[in-house]
Amino acid sequence: MTQTSEALAPAIDRTAARTFDPLSKVGDEQAFRQEIRDWLAAVLPADWRKQWQQTRESDLGGVMTWWLEERRKVGLATPHWPKAWGGPGISFAYQIMVYEELSRADAPELDIFTISLFHTPATLFEHGTQDQIDRYLGGITQGTDIWCQGFSEPGAGSDLASLRTAAIRDGDDYIVNGQKIWSSSSMHADYCLLLARTDPNGKRKHDGISYFIMDMKSPGITVRPIRQITGESEFAEVFMDDVRIPAKNLIGAEGNGWNIAQSTLSTERGLLIFGSTERLARSFALDRVDAKDSWMRDVGLRREYAGFYAELQAIRLMVRRLLAELEANPEKASPTLPTFIKLNWGPFLQSYSEFLVRAEGLEAQKWQPSIPGTGHSSRLRFNDFLKSYGWTVAGGSNEIMRNIISERILAMPRG
Amino acid sequence: MSDEFDLDVLAESFSEFLEGEWPKEKAIAYERSDQSYDADLWSAMAGLGWTALTAPEAEGGLGLGTAAAAHLHAALGAAVTPTPMLGTLLATTLLGATGAEGARGLLAGIIDGSLRVAVAEPNAVPVQTDGKTISGTARDLLDAPGANLLLVRIALAGQPGWVAIDADAPGVSIHRYTLADTTRSLGDVTLDNVQIGEGRLIRPTAGAALDDLLTRQACVAIAADSLGGGEAVLKITIEYMKVREQFGRLIGSFQALKHRVADHHAALVGARELVLNAATIPDDDDGALLAALSTKAHVAAVTADIARDCIQLHGGVGFTSEFSPHLYLKRAKLNEALYGTRTAILDRVADMLEAA
Repeated sequence: MTQTSEALAPAIDRTAARTFDPLSKVGDEQAFRQEIRDWLAAVLPADWRKQWQQTRESDLGGVMTWWLEERRKVGLATPHWPKAWGGPGISFAYQIMVYEELSRADAPELDIFTISLFHTPATLFEHGTQDQIDRYLGGITQGTDIWCQGFSEPGAGSDLASLRTAAIRDGDDYIVNGQKIWSSSSMHADYCLLLARTDPNGKRKHDGISYFIMDMKSPGITVRPIRQITGESEFAEVFMDDVRIPAKNLIGAEGNGWNIAQSTLSTERGLLIFGSTERLARSFALDRVDAKDSWMRDVGLRREYAGFYAELQAIRLMVRRLLAELEANPEKASPTLPTFIKLNWGPFLQSYSEFLVRAEGLEAQKWQPSIPGTGHSSRLRFNDFLKSYGWTVAGGSNEIMRNIISERILAMPRG
Repeated sequence: MSDEFDLDVLAESFSEFLEGEWPKEKAIAYERSDQSYDADLWSAMAGLGWTALTAPEAEGGLGLGTAAAAHLHAALGAAVTPTPMLGTLLATTLLGATGAEGARGLLAGIIDGSLRVAVAEPNAVPVQTDGKTISGTARDLLDAPGANLLLVRIALAGQPGWVAIDADAPGVSIHRYTLADTTRSLGDVTLDNVQIGEGRLIRPTAGAALDDLLTRQACVAIAADSLGGGEAVLKITIEYMKVREQFGRLIGSFQALKHRVADHHAALVGARELVLNAATIPDDDDGALLAALSTKAHVAAVTADIARDCIQLHGGVGFTSEFSPHLYLKRAKLNEALYGTRTAILDRVADMLEAA
């Protein structure tokens, strides 16, 4: 397998290190981009993919924290945060540039910090108390705390609102019993954003759900990593057996958890999928170069490859439109576009990665450990192919997306 | 005019007019009429200035660009109109590129709709000529049977070019092929010692660039036509699925059916982005042709697949000529074949990607 990262940066001369301050260049797009490029060339080891691939899962938090720390030094740990959160408060256009440059340079994704950097602050600032903000924000900005989300359950996947984990008030605490599943990075996590049922007698199943901060070191919590079809473990099951959560860790009003969860599900405003599609576009361009003496010489495979070009462009254009609409006015952005993007992107990823497995023949069959931080563009063919189910199943399976489009968007009758 | 022109308003006006003037019933009835175009509809369009859309303002046109043309062709595709507008678009570009005096008179006829032009694809086999007379056959020329002006691809002393020939000039005969898609037709144009008139020879100085421009505009227009057709046939199908009952239930409630509809709709949302993007890239941008070719191949295929499934989703009535989905399928299949089949275009896209 070709490691393309070698071509990324010139040999790093660490003795000539200078300090980088991209935020000081805001207002001059070219200078801003150039500063990020120079910084990435200086700090990002050309062989980071190899290094991360060799990292044991238990040490993953460490290497990802290193990268978050490097980003923090130049003010780019939380480029999407407003000033009120302690972020740089740069415009959305500049946030997009940050993600574009990170993707272009193949800088690592910070998967295990997704909840910490996006969902937790959005939830705390929108619905939390000042005490909660004061207590938890520091650990996030310092990169010392990793957060996970306890939403899905074995019996509540696409149908999240039917969750059954129970939280029963007992004095100053809630006592929580139940099981969560598909909780990303929960084996590394310090805290969990937990949805639990505080009132089993609500009129609708959406009622009676409350939103908690759960300390993952609390007695009664067992975390069991889920070994995926890729061989790695990005998720875990979280079992809660009489776990005590202080009542002050309730976010918002009791019973209002469903609404809070809905309002913070899409806090990433398209930036994460933008990073993901731009990474794939970079990888797509490298694929034909790497294959110029192999499958690009096969007329059928070459043609098939060319057919994927328009599909990828369509997705990139949809994502760009989403970003443009959000930049212009988040209130007026199309509420349906993210659904269309997802139903195009998941199947595209799956069919393109399957194509690469087929095109590369036996070479693609040779198993290699996954490379953390590379998202869906690890360029390990079989791993990327298997991982594509993350987009066709997780976050609302394709089938749920098709129900949403046909029933809610096209107003077709319910079955 | 062009800069601040609101294209969405323009697009809406195209659709509104066609909904009134060319409703489904007319489109269905037209299929049995054996005409090469609809004269009333064509003159109504000309009266509204649609044939003047991309002609330069100095010549009496509206001076709008490829994006406006894309909106027009999307509306034509949605209404499945039998109107040779692609020839108007390409002839306007071709004659505009010559700068020759003789071209000006022809342009006026195109703008006012009195000329219906059949334009050969740039990669058509050229007819040899010495520049004074021309003999030979131009095969499969789109919309030639209904045209009164033919722009034939020629080779003169080894150099490619074009010649404008009146369809009723002595020595011209046109063999008409009726197509599955009756909104358009093909003709084999046979030229027997036809005199080339004054100013009728078009010998572009930058021939390859003009060929690329024509290919680009044609591909964007065809892709837009397909997009409009795909959106329209899916809309019609959804409406039908909301009223048709079987087993005591609306067929639109069946998950096995509506999931297919959802996939089609999601594909069209992506297709629309491709068309808008390909239509708004500046002519001189290096990426314009790649975007147009890849968009045409993709969107034509998407709509052909959707139209095919829409007949199936209609069930028995979809197989009758009384319902409209078949019109869209036939038009979509022709769009797939025009300006390069999918495989031919993808080979070219691969070449362009590798050269980039």
